[in-house]
Parts: sequence; C-alpha cells; structure tokens
Amino acid sequence: MNGNNNANKQMTLKDAIGKYVKDDCSITFGGFIGRDCVAAVHEIIRQGIKNLTVIDDSKTDMMDLLVGAGAVKRWEGAYLGYGAIGLAPNIRRSVEKGIPAKFELEDWSNAGISMRYLAGSLNIPFMATKSMLGTDILKYNQRIKVINDPYAGEPVALVPAAHPDVAVIHVQRADAMGNAQVWGFTGNDENKARAAKHTIITCEEIVATDEIRRQGNMTAIPFYCVDAVVQVPYGCHPQSCYGYYAYDVLFCGDYHEAAKDREQFLSWLDRYVFESEDHAAYCAKVGWSRLQNLMTMERHFNRIPG
Amino acid sequence: MGNQKYTASELMAIMTAKEFRDWEVAFVGIGIPLVAGITAKRFHAPNLNIVYESGCIGPQKYRVDFNVGDSSAADGALCLTSEWRVFSDMQCGYYDVGVLGAAQVDKYGNLNTTAIFGSQDYQSPKVRLPGSGGGNDIGSNIGRVVVMLRLEPLRFVEKVDYLTTPGFLDGAPDARKRAGLLGSGPAAVVTDKALFRFDASTSEMYLDTIYPGVDVQDIKSLVGWELKISPDLKVASEPTDEELAAVRASDPANLIMGGVAARKRLSGLDEYIEVTIKNSGK
Repeated sequence: MNGNNNANKQMTLKDAIGKYVKDDCSITFGGFIGRDCVAAVHEIIRQGIKNLTVIDDSKTDMMDLLVGAGAVKRWEGAYLGYGAIGLAPNIRRSVEKGIPAKFELEDWSNAGISMRYLAGSLNIPFMATKSMLGTDILKYNQRIKVINDPYAGEPVALVPAAHPDVAVIHVQRADAMGNAQVWGFTGNDENKARAAKHTIITCEEIVATDEIRRQGNMTAIPFYCVDAVVQVPYGCHPQSCYGYYAYDVLFCGDYHEAAKDREQFLSWLDRYVFESEDHAAYCAKVGWSRLQNLMTMERHFNRIPG
Repeated sequence: MGNQKYTASELMAIMTAKEFRDWEVAFVGIGIPLVAGITAKRFHAPNLNIVYESGCIGPQKYRVDFNVGDSSAADGALCLTSEWRVFSDMQCGYYDVGVLGAAQVDKYGNLNTTAIFGSQDYQSPKVRLPGSGGGNDIGSNIGRVVVMLRLEPLRFVEKVDYLTTPGFLDGAPDARKRAGLLGSGPAAVVTDKALFRFDASTSEMYLDTIYPGVDVQDIKSLVGWELKISPDLKVASEPTDEELAAVRASDPANLIMGGVAARKRLSGLDEYIEVTIKNSGK
C-alpha cells in the first residue's frame, strides 16, 4: 500500500513546502501560465530554498521570480518569457549578465517536455517525438537522441522520462485525501503528478469526498499520487484560474516594468513576498476588492457547474 | 506609411487573418498571432477553430488572451484537454495551419526564438529570448505555417543565430524529409511592411506583396540576403473600415498591439474589465 493512502493530507502551505521542497531538489509546477502555482513560488522564495532544478514546459512570472530571487540552479524547459507583455526581465539579467547568478539552461520544445512527462507517468524510460528534429535544439541538448525508427526507418527524436522530486499543482478543488479536480485545460498536470516522487496540491476550495464523487470525471489527479493538500484561495494571482478569476494583466504589466530594474525588483519582492507572512497577506496588499472584481470578470465568461 | 488611419501592427494582423480560411483548424501562438486569429473569426472565417497548446480546442473568442494558457483561452471551448494531447493531435496532422512569431528568420524560413548571440554565444547571449515554447512543434508538424515578425534591421538574416523552429533547413529539396519532419514547412512570412512567400523549387523566401506606400528598395535594405522579388509583385489593398473594426474589437483595450503605452492610458482594472466585457459579444 502506498504511504499516501490516508484520509487527511491537509496542511498549511508553509508546512507543505517546508516538508517536500528541499535545497538542490528538482521540481515542476502544474498549470500552463493559467492555473500557475504563484502562491507556492512565493513560499519557496520566502523559505530561502536554493539550487532548484526546474523541469517544465512554459513559465512566465513564476520562473522570473524564482530566478530573480536566486533560487534556481538549472532549467530544463521550453519557454521563459512574459507572454504578450514581453521578455522576462530577471531571466534576461541572469542569462545575459549573471545577475544575481547564472543558471544552467537546457532547451526543449513544449511537445518535447510533454513527452518527457508522458514517459515519466508511464514509468518507461523515454518517449519518441517528431519535434525538434533538424534544429539547434539537438545541437545544444545532447540528451535528445535521434535514431531511425527500428520499424519504418524514419528519423525520430527520443527524450528521457522526467521524474522530478516534487510537483506542485494548483487546481480548482480537491478533497482532504487529495483527489484533485480541474476545470479548463489540464496542461501536463495528470502526468506531472504521476511522474513526480511527491505531489503537493494547492486548491481554491476543499470539498467533501462525496462532492468529488458526484463528478469523478473531473478528477485529473487521484489521491494515491498526492502527498499534501493545501487550500490557497487566489493562489494563482496575477495569473488566471478558470472559473474563479481572470488574468490580472495590469498587475503583471506593473510587475514587468518594475522587474526591469534590479533594485525595483528587490523592493517588489520585499513588499509582496518577504514582508507578507502568507498568501492571505499578499492578497490583502493586492486588494481583496480587486481580486473580487477579477472573479466577477471570470464568472461573466466561465462558471463551474455546482 | 505616413498619415494613414491604421497602424502597421493592425495591417500586419489583418494580413495574417487573411491567411486563415473558414472551417480550418488553426494552432496559434502568442502575441499578434492571437489577435489575427480572433480577427479572422470575427470577420471572414467565423467557423475557424483555434487550438491552444495549453489544451484548449475550439474556444469562442470573447476576449483576447495574453498567454495561450489564460482562462480566456478556454472560454466556451469545444474540448478542454491536456497539452500532450493537443501536441499529439498536431503530430497526427489534424491541424491545417499554424501561426507563430519569431525574433529572427533566414531565407529558408528557419526561425530563432531562443537567443540573439551578438558577439557572444548560446550560454551568454546578447539577448536571451523565451525559447521554443510550442513554436518548434508547430514548425515541425503542421502542414502550413504562417510566421509573423516585424521587418526591422537584423531580423531577416542570412543565418539565424540559433535555429529553434525548422523552416526548409538548408533549402535542399528533401531537407525536411531527411530530417524526419512531418509538416510541409512555412507558407508565408507576414511583416509590418510586406508579405513574403517561398519558391516551391528553391525553398527560398521572396517578396510577394508590399503594403501601400512601402518602397521595394526599403524592403531590400532590411533583408540580409539578395532578396528575390515576385515577377507579379502585388500591392496589398488598404484595410477596410470593417477589417479595422474587427481587429480593434479583437483587442479592445489595445494591450497586445499597443503595449505599455496603452496599458498606461487605462484608468485601472475596472476600465479594463468594462471594455473587455463590452466588446466580448457575451
């Protein structure tokens, strides 16, 4: 029996991060910019965790914050930007100038990383893909092996399974056992949770297990993959959470402007992370009425059936 | 392009929107490509279905997305699924057209979105860009690929610093097939001054259409190789009022194409929410 088979895995974000996210560990985060684990990233920074290897598909402010805070040793992934807002300022400063420190870069495509997590979730050593062939991704990333398909003979790229130490995944709702239900797109979440050695679920709402049973189709991640369950309302802000709140493009724009300057970035980090005891304190600084307005906007477009 | 009533970005979005056909399934990347997709749906291709790599298939486009994984990408979708699933569907050939941006392009349509090296290298480049994201996957697998980027100095280069997304590789007739790639490669490069296509026999990019008021010599001076010009070079028509209205309603607060300046013109979040809902059609 799996040690995860128990009735109550609920804990605080501080305890969950403290217990499972250690210096030098490898980690992945759920969501796809929408449903990002922003609160968990703030807590990782608050606890001063260092030397992380992040294995992920596409990240915006979460990775910009982690890199700016000096928490990342290595990135294996596909996208580090800031969407339509622009390039990621801390990523640029680190890679181009070594401020505050360089981190190791290993470039993949999103499908390449997706296949690494599919292989991880299947518990097989690698997966084949038709992406990345013929490009400089192969030149700089020697872990992608091109072979001729042993059946038909055509070239195919092999990518190794990903098995990070920890996956942190934010969902709309979960029960205390860790059955995690997701509305909207699911990214690579179901595979990340299965591929990782430990999985922390953060969620907008904790519901009764009987409520989970009413819509078992929506459970992307079953309890046996999950080590910890943490309720963190507005845990994705300024990113969106389908059915709960819309993307706060203006807050992101302000962050992006501030982060272009190292000193202003550090002030931002002080105000919103180090001088905020927890995510509720962060929310109070953002403003509860602002968060409520983002919820009203989202629910104009998307409502989760009750 | 002086005192006209539209911006270069708007014309770029409209020219790209025209590359979509009704009832196609389009895999669309971040930025102005998204605006072009929404514009097409609101104008000549109402049955266009857009797919986003986060796992959204066929959403209604009520509001603009700033990332392909915003909750807006899922509004009223036909199918909400996983990222690995939509990339697998792409590999199966279900998607007709892909649209993506780039920082650099070469004459065979190879794209760089990873790093501008300058006098340095991959590990310490002059400018670190986001990386492939799903761009490489679009360029590798989709039958028809449309590229969007501004025609500015050092963007149209003889050789890209880092080949992130495959075009026709070295230009040899079977280069893509030899590498093992499935899609047939880039079909068009849409810029803020002109539209380029690719010669079927040489795989080389040529100037196909110039925008009103643009001079061919200006285009040639911004391209880093001896650019060939189509023998029947076309001039794009001025965008109509209806096209401009569609593109503006697609990004009503002008935050994608207007950037920081447009953001600063808003009085705050309340105005943004009001403008978004008012123009959503929902």
